[in-house]
Amino acid sequence: MAKVSETPLLSPELLAQLERLELVTRKIFRGRMKGERRSKHKGQSVEFADFRNYVPGDDLRLLDWNLYARLDKLIIKLFLEEEDLHFYTLIDASMSMDFGSPTKLEYAKQLAAALGFVGLIRADRVRIETLAQGPGERSPILRGRQSVWRMLQHVESIQSGETISLAEGVKNFCLRNAGRGVVVFISDLMDKEGYETALKYFVSHQVDCFVIHVLSQEELEPEVKGDLKLVDCEDQDVAEITVSVPLLNRYQKTLDSFVKGAQDFCSRRGIHYLMANNQLPVEELVASHLRRRGLVR
Amino acid sequence: MGMIPPAIFALYFLKLKRQPLEVPSTYLWHRVIEDLHVNSLWQRLRKSLLLLLQLLVIALVILALLRPGWQGQSLEGRRFIFLIDNSASMSATDTKTGITRLEDAKSRVAALIDQFELGMSAMIISFAEQPNVVQEFTNNRRLLREALERIEPSAGLTDLTGALELADGFANPGRVTVDDAAGEFEVTEQQDVELYVFSDGKFRGVEGFSLGNLQPLFLPIGTFEAQNLAITALNTRRGEERPEHQQAFIQVANFSDQTQTAIVELYLNERLLDAARLEVAADSTSSTTFNLGVEVEGILRAKLDIPSDFGDRLSIDNEAYAIVESRRDARVLLVTPGNMALESALSTERAKRLAKVEKVSPEVLQKDEFLKQSQEETYDLIIFDQCQPKTMPLANTVFVGRIPPTNEWTQGTKKEPVYGPQIIDWQRSHPLLNLLELGNVQIIDAQTVKPPLGGRVLIDSTKGPIFSIAPRGRYEDAVLSFEIVGTDEQGQRTYNTDWPRKYSFPSFWLNVLGYFSNTGGTSSLHNKPEKLVELRMNSQTEKFEVELPDGSRRELRIDTPGRLSFHETGQLGVYKVWEGGKLVKQFAVNLFDRAESDIRLRVRQEDEDGVKVVDSLSIGYVDVSAQSLSSPVRRELWKLLLVGALVVLVLEWYIYNRRVYI
Repeated sequence: MAKVSETPLLSPELLAQLERLELVTRKIFRGRMKGERRSKHKGQSVEFADFRNYVPGDDLRLLDWNLYARLDKLIIKLFLEEEDLHFYTLIDASMSMDFGSPTKLEYAKQLAAALGFVGLIRADRVRIETLAQGPGERSPILRGRQSVWRMLQHVESIQSGETISLAEGVKNFCLRNAGRGVVVFISDLMDKEGYETALKYFVSHQVDCFVIHVLSQEELEPEVKGDLKLVDCEDQDVAEITVSVPLLNRYQKTLDSFVKGAQDFCSRRGIHYLMANNQLPVEELVASHLRRRGLVR
Repeated sequence: MGMIPPAIFALYFLKLKRQPLEVPSTYLWHRVIEDLHVNSLWQRLRKSLLLLLQLLVIALVILALLRPGWQGQSLEGRRFIFLIDNSASMSATDTKTGITRLEDAKSRVAALIDQFELGMSAMIISFAEQPNVVQEFTNNRRLLREALERIEPSAGLTDLTGALELADGFANPGRVTVDDAAGEFEVTEQQDVELYVFSDGKFRGVEGFSLGNLQPLFLPIGTFEAQNLAITALNTRRGEERPEHQQAFIQVANFSDQTQTAIVELYLNERLLDAARLEVAADSTSSTTFNLGVEVEGILRAKLDIPSDFGDRLSIDNEAYAIVESRRDARVLLVTPGNMALESALSTERAKRLAKVEKVSPEVLQKDEFLKQSQEETYDLIIFDQCQPKTMPLANTVFVGRIPPTNEWTQGTKKEPVYGPQIIDWQRSHPLLNLLELGNVQIIDAQTVKPPLGGRVLIDSTKGPIFSIAPRGRYEDAVLSFEIVGTDEQGQRTYNTDWPRKYSFPSFWLNVLGYFSNTGGTSSLHNKPEKLVELRMNSQTEKFEVELPDGSRRELRIDTPGRLSFHETGQLGVYKVWEGGKLVKQFAVNLFDRAESDIRLRVRQEDEDGVKVVDSLSIGYVDVSAQSLSSPVRRELWKLLLVGALVVLVLEWYIYNRRVYI
């Protein structure tokens, strides 16, 4: 079901806003290519880091000839290396994400595009994937401002309808991507088997993980009445309810505890958690909430 | 009908056809439902609130269809007339709460008025001796209640006839039947009027009355067990052995099922004179006589002192009043050539007690001495038998067989005697003819006598009036136009009538003496409450003041000199007549009515269970049976129930739509 959103993923205003941002991670990862981030590795940059003795095999270009002339010792001058950042965005494109207005998936795609854009202009390696991708299927790694168009095209092409459990999807993702970096996982976490296993994979994979929990307004404040047969869009599971005030109150409590539970789970494991209402504009989410969480700067 | 609630119940347990709604995930909902299942019983109850409400609605509807009702007083009809008895017996306090019967009746009427619905109108008539329209037809409840408050207990006897006639007049205004050649047409539309009679039924039925549109309903008030002791007579008279001594005669009646002893106290001018213990058997009377002594004068009051263990329910008949006047013997002059029958009639024992009769022959009439005496008010009454004076004396006169020598009388009298007149009617209510039976009196010849203006014909015969009475200034002249004994052509004494052989003859003359002698005036007669009292006054004044027993005064102007009529006699007690600050006359008004004093409800029959049934009221040819004491009509509830069902339905709708739980 090809759904073409009327609104572009990134509006010019948003782009202008995003240009001023950059992705941040608390951890320093090893990059693949030269980028704009300080790396653990010593390398070529203008910033001096250290000296060390020359051992055979070192690049002679790195010798500090001045010191050799003065001390008659081969000393290598180390500089800080600047590398790029692996920035992954994992989108849950399950059926349940195809609800709300805008749909949660659209919202997720917008968010992914926005964050990807930030990554691209900062010369980070950006990869946007979905849960259902098998271990072999990889999305292209994008890098540089010139790839924005490709990234947008890729994000646009993401369709809902995946039927894979969270845990399986995350596991596959981890298998696919060995490189460590920042992972933004956008999902509604609505999996009957629980989200805990899935998130644990991230922890063990030692990535800097952000969980953006997208919930639609219909889920947050359901406007239903009467006797209903609720049908789960994913597994056609049925729940019969008779809507009443106590029931709604009870739902609110359950929802609150669900959100709170996810938050607690994440914060205990060093995962950043952010609950996003699909009514909240992406601009605001990125510029304000994510900034406060420390994903962007 | 009874299947509906189970059906609803069954329907409720059928699988509800729920509207499917696709949601992102039932994840949260399942957890919600599980949570709710934990405290399920209460939840289930709350969940089935709608079911309960539906069952309630159906229950109400079913109840409404069953037409529940209770015995209550209800008003059915549009126009009502409430007849409220306020006679003496209605002052009895034998109701449950101890209030008087009248108060009970009033509260019942008030309760009925409270039930008034739109378009209902009512009028209230109180009745005792006289009916009184307290409130004309109105639908204004406030007016009706105010009118109800205005009804005061009276001491009068009960007479329903007047009230019925009044009600009839109001109920069928302008009920005119046009007697046409083609038949009778009702001019106005007939409208049924509910007639509620609140009474204790202490009166005989009403005869000769057609109810027409009136739908009577008799609501008896009172009990069968009400006991009462009453003074039913208080008289003063001269002693049999010693005529100079006055005696008071008191009769006490016991209206209860047991013999009762009571003390009768007699007060003269509020001073205790004597007391006597009287034992009165159940449903009978007992009497006693008190000696008052010589030359007593004043107000006599008899009071019944009843032991407190006897539940005397009516107090107004426990006192009685009488006026004792010092008696000046009336002087009566009989002018007759000789009339054995008349003379013996005027010389009986009782006649002697009433008056001192002097007898002279007609020759005296010519004497100057008589003329002088006759102009000096020496005599109270002069009886001219077979003779007549030249001028009328200043005294009351009775002419027998002659006509007074005045123009007024002679003009209306035919010279020729009539032969064999048959008496066809006589004024029984007139004191002169009180308690007389004259139908058997034969008369040979008589003159017809037509009274002058202001006079009355007292005895009418087939040939014309033969006994008339007419006022002459302060005096009255009665003319009996036939001789009792006469003289025929041969000068023999002959009897003109067989009247002297009848019982009525001496009674008539006693009446004459009583009526014309001042002492035997109306003050000693029994004046009934609410009845007109007529007094003969000696003075020519036209202005009098009457002091009622409660002390209030009424100014009175009289049209006919010497006659005072007073009708405001609703109170029991002594009335005083003042003339320019001088007490000229007193009269007492007493109940003395066995029917009113016997306050027990009349029993028609006792059925097998011993339940007494109140006797019905007969009005005309209709027997209006007494409605049960408390509850005449069935009250319906279904309207209320349906309204209740509607309310519940609305509530259900609201709950269903607003998802509200109370």
